Amino acid sequence: MKSALHNMNPSVKFVLVTICMFTLAFFFNPWTPLFVWMGVIMMQLLFSRIDWKMWMLFMIPFVIMAFGYFWTTLVFAEDKSGPVVLSVWSMHITEVQLNHALSLSFRVLAFSGLSLLFALTTNPVSFILSLMQQMRLSPKIAYSILVGYQFLPVLKDEFVQIQQAHRLRGAVQEKNVFRRLLNMRKILLPMLAGAVRKAERAAFAMEARGFTGEKRKSFYTIIHVGKVDGYMVSLFMLLIVLSCTSVLYIN
Amino acid sequence: MLKSWKLKEVVLMSLFSVVFGIVYLLFLHVGNIWSGFIGPIAYEWIFGIWFIVSIICMYIIRKPGAAVISETIAAAVEVLLGNAVGPRLILAGVIQGLGAEAAFAATRYRRFDIWVLMLAGVGASVFSFVYGYFMGGFTVFSTGYVLLMFGLRIVSGAMIAGVGGKAVVDGLLATGSLRGYAITRSKKGEARA
Repeated sequence: MKSALHNMNPSVKFVLVTICMFTLAFFFNPWTPLFVWMGVIMMQLLFSRIDWKMWMLFMIPFVIMAFGYFWTTLVFAEDKSGPVVLSVWSMHITEVQLNHALSLSFRVLAFSGLSLLFALTTNPVSFILSLMQQMRLSPKIAYSILVGYQFLPVLKDEFVQIQQAHRLRGAVQEKNVFRRLLNMRKILLPMLAGAVRKAERAAFAMEARGFTGEKRKSFYTIIHVGKVDGYMVSLFMLLIVLSCTSVLYIN
Repeated sequence: MLKSWKLKEVVLMSLFSVVFGIVYLLFLHVGNIWSGFIGPIAYEWIFGIWFIVSIICMYIIRKPGAAVISETIAAAVEVLLGNAVGPRLILAGVIQGLGAEAAFAATRYRRFDIWVLMLAGVGASVFSFVYGYFMGGFTVFSTGYVLLMFGLRIVSGAMIAGVGGKAVVDGLLATGSLRGYAITRSKKGEARA
């Protein structure tokens, strides 16, 4: 049971998470996103073996972002109706404003919770394979994405190498942030030129081994849709229905 | 549609996506921390960076679909790299790509000058803003604030994605590594004419 989320079909999980996010976009009360967020955390506690330290680390920027949404909504609100609940300096914050602000910040948290649920329990390679097998993604695109994914460590090394080469020739690192951003071009160009060459070589090698990019029926690694998907989909739907109707019984 | 695509072009898009995937992630973290202090508007002026891959790939490959497919691949790669924004990004990528694609389709994939590239950046801005308006719940912000965000995003799309994208590709073209792609062929054609 501890691995239910890991064993889910990646495409099913992907569609499920996307549906949950779209549903949330229709709600402007604080409770619905809050309940979804808490439900998602519960779900992960029960059905996954994720590294919670990692989860916290990933969550930090989103908490900061949620705070940004919170105060922006308070200051730049459109709808300022309802009774005043809070007064800070010369600013009066109404109930509607506060609800909207809380709702948007919880929405950011719920979105990131859902995303992390997907990101931390899904194997990237089987996600792409599943998109190809269940969602009919063209093999040409699917395998090209996998090629890019496999090249990631190489490109990372190259990035470090180019930086070191620049330093070796006495290029000083700019202190000014904007200058530094402009200087990124000096690293980007050699990396892209290298990428072009690597792409050509990889494509040539694939074609030399008989890869045509045609649609196929049989695969070496088969990604299944199983019972566990059915259970998890119903659980998620239950969570969404409960959180969406929460407004009705809380008020 | 994919029949006319050479494998090396698709792999090229994927590798570009990885390079820019790293850049995107960098900017995402910058944007995230900024947005804590100045709110969601923090993303707007750097938003163009997220459209750059579609414009670069279309400018190089020049085939119908290059903008949408490349932006979608870039989003998928970003998800693979372990991005915390997750699956939502793929959808956003498709929508941004469609915006850029619309501009190229409007010129029937014949013109690839700076104006069309900037227009593509604007197209991506408009499409992504409509999507963001819905998903981010911008309806609760006052009209003036939303218009300011929208304006900033359009300028960013045109400048960073359009002008910046062209600058990157022109630099790349000078290295001579783009031989065998549509962009080099058309440059030769222009020289002959």
